[in-house]
Amino acid sequence: MIRFILLQNRQGKTRLAKYYIPLEESEKHKVEYEVHRLVVNRDPKFTNFVEFRTHKVIYRRYAGLFFSLCVDITDNELAYLESIHLFVEILDHFFSNVCELDLVFNFHKVYLILDEFILAGELQETSKRAIIERMGELEKQE
Amino acid sequence: MALSGMRGLSVFISDVRNCQNKEQERLRVDKELGNIRTRFKNEKGLTPYEKKKYVWKMLYIHMLGYDVDFGHMEAVSLISAPKYPEKQVGYIVTSCLLNENHDFLRLAINTVRNDIVGRNETFQCLALTLVGNIGGREFAESLAPDVQKLLISSSCRPLVRKKAALCLVRLFRKNPDVMNVDSWSDRMAQLLDERDLGVVTSSMSLLVALVSNNHEEYWSCLPKCVKVLERLSRNQDVPQEYTYYGIPSPWLQVKAMRALQYFPTIEDPDTRRSLFEVLQRILMGTDVVKNVNKNNASHAVLFEALALVMHLDAEKEMMSQCVALLGKFIAVREPNIRYLGLENMTRMLMVTDVQDIIKRHQAQIITSLKDPDISIRRRALDLLYGMCDVSNAKDIVEELLQYLSTAEFVMREELSLKIAILAEKFAPDLSWYVDVILQLIDKAGDFVSDDIWFRVVQFVTNNEDLQPYAALKAREYLDKPAIHETMVKVSAYILGEIQPSSGQKAWM
Repeated sequence: MIRFILLQNRQGKTRLAKYYIPLEESEKHKVEYEVHRLVVNRDPKFTNFVEFRTHKVIYRRYAGLFFSLCVDITDNELAYLESIHLFVEILDHFFSNVCELDLVFNFHKVYLILDEFILAGELQETSKRAIIERMGELEKQE
Repeated sequence: MALSGMRGLSVFISDVRNCQNKEQERLRVDKELGNIRTRFKNEKGLTPYEKKKYVWKMLYIHMLGYDVDFGHMEAVSLISAPKYPEKQVGYIVTSCLLNENHDFLRLAINTVRNDIVGRNETFQCLALTLVGNIGGREFAESLAPDVQKLLISSSCRPLVRKKAALCLVRLFRKNPDVMNVDSWSDRMAQLLDERDLGVVTSSMSLLVALVSNNHEEYWSCLPKCVKVLERLSRNQDVPQEYTYYGIPSPWLQVKAMRALQYFPTIEDPDTRRSLFEVLQRILMGTDVVKNVNKNNASHAVLFEALALVMHLDAEKEMMSQCVALLGKFIAVREPNIRYLGLENMTRMLMVTDVQDIIKRHQAQIITSLKDPDISIRRRALDLLYGMCDVSNAKDIVEELLQYLSTAEFVMREELSLKIAILAEKFAPDLSWYVDVILQLIDKAGDFVSDDIWFRVVQFVTNNEDLQPYAALKAREYLDKPAIHETMVKVSAYILGEIQPSSGQKAWM
């Protein structure tokens, strides 16, 4: 399962953090610091997988943002790597050519989208269309 | 960059961003927190819109890294709001700020339950999402029956049902007793037959959770999993929206194959045949393509298929196809595939007797041990350790010792232990073993545990024939300008053990 998902920029600022395992505040900050350190220094020519404590982090960089998923050690790495990409494609579609600032000023929408994409640490929906349509439904109710 | 409504939130975010330094930011944030605290205290004057705005601000401040404990109550209380915009904020912010260990959450159980059993679909979804993301044991006990009803209700949209399925995954993980097996075995089988792939995907996750706990009750789901794979593999009834770069839901394929790995065997010959056809198609038909995402997705499916083939430990022919593929993968330039090739080759060692075929790739694996990427080096080490036997021990241990000199600290302890174990297990003769251990101590003394050097001393003590050689070697190391403390101890022991006759020779 996905234990947590993090979006961090190069400086380590958290743009999105969702935890599917119970962690205290101080533990979360520690995790965010460690994961950032782990991924920010890796050569782009290296694998997108790196061991993290007794789990692994699947990550990819898009422009100035690092998308990291912490998953169980037995999980399928490439499947999760592409789920990151799917998420990015959804964000890109929703915000029409997304950039970091979109995610900053609309962080509340990003959480909404994420909740349509992942639930209980598992992929909920893999159709970009279904998620975008759902977001449309929700916007109407605001 | 449009922000729908909530101008106050945008302004706040802009203010924070315009701060020149951390001090200024802290001041601005504290000011805002103070303002929010005051407004929350005086509940009467607070409109739902304002409450919503403040709770979002609180989440933003929390994301910046500041403490917002005082606001938990407000976030949770918004869950009871009558209208969607406020309720939504309550649910989302609560799931970000709180977890199952927070007592506050208990206060919300009744409201959450009302939303789940109520008629408002949007509220149902919000509630299912909260429970699925942060629900604990108590939620499991109170809500499982209601969530189960939603999952099998034909009047619920797929949207609700897939959330119910995943919500159940969490509740089950918190308390396996919530799933009454008798009724669920058939229901799971039915869910896997559904047309809507969103529901099937979520249900498959639920199945994996159930069978990983105990597969005995879910045999009827086995052929269903195979049917799902067939459907996807033949691209039958797969809407375009579920096709990812031309591949029918790779994630569902991976999940289905994962579920199958929890069943020890496949008895029914027809099911077996169907599955093998699918696997064969995947093994033989996955080409390397230019598009990175398509390549990753198709190989995600391929690697899971490999794992399934290994698990079934089936036809020899299929197994050799797998090893051949892996042999190819560990030599490609693409690092992810190389990594997975090494990892899966290691798994293969444990399953079946393919040692000989794998040993043919030794040179390539040793090259990977020197890869600049630590992730790959780790996998190479595991593989070399696993494939070591009497025939290649000398070469492999030699390489590992060489690598030890340049390995970074995080790997040295594991490396030392592995070298010591291999040296002892597969030593062609004892003097080689002594050599290796002494070299080990010389190169990485700090990381050589006491157990390791106790053992070498034990061997020397119990083998008189070994003593002259051991003494000679120990003497050589003692002559070096700088030696590790452990080396001094070992040498002292060895030289101290020598019988007078052989000892004289050594001291000469």
